[in-house]
Amino acid sequence: MKTILELNEKKIPVVRIDKSLNKYSNVVLFPEKVEKAKKAIEKVGLPDLTKYIE
Amino acid sequence: MKLDRYELKSDNQLTFFTFLSEGQKGKIEKVVQFSLIYQNNLYNLSFGDRDYLTGQIDDKIVTDNGDSEKVLATVVAAIYAFCDKVPDAFIYATGSTAARTRLYRMGINKYYDIVKEDFKIFGQSKSEWEQYEKGKDYEAFVVQKKSIKFDI
Repeated sequence: MKTILELNEKKIPVVRIDKSLNKYSNVVLFPEKVEKAKKAIEKVGLPDLTKYIE
Repeated sequence: MKLDRYELKSDNQLTFFTFLSEGQKGKIEKVVQFSLIYQNNLYNLSFGDRDYLTGQIDDKIVTDNGDSEKVLATVVAAIYAFCDKVPDAFIYATGSTAARTRLYRMGINKYYDIVKEDFKIFGQSKSEWEQYEKGKDYEAFVVQKKSIKFDI
């Protein structure tokens, strides 16, 4: 069995699921930022993934 | 990712994360939220502090708690966790202020060599997206997980 320290060194972190946080799942807490992002994406679009060079 | 980071708590959907920053100004609750912008798996990453008295979230505050590296590493960890749940998500991020965008850029630069192994990273310069270049100035960022398996 892996220890917590070993698990914490992995890229995907150990996340404790807290059911009390479920009330935020469908609530936008940063509406201004989401609106700003929408406008920016409408204007600029998304990156062209096919142009990504490894 | 052998980086010092805080313990994350999340909702069931892994879209809302909290953690406690502990530094020279005491314990401060941080919030990270991934909000769907469009149905094509495009999410906005938001990040801020929650006032424990009022419950209000502030994404413009400069906390200056002396642990910014650990905080950034924890936000990066939240991105890994979210992308484990939604692997084809595009994540859009920009700061609520120029200073915060600069902070994001510093964070990407700091962890670039680790993160680029697992994510495609793009930066928006003027009105164009380009593949992220370390050290260059960008207004916004988009990351998407590469279609490879994480080291778990």
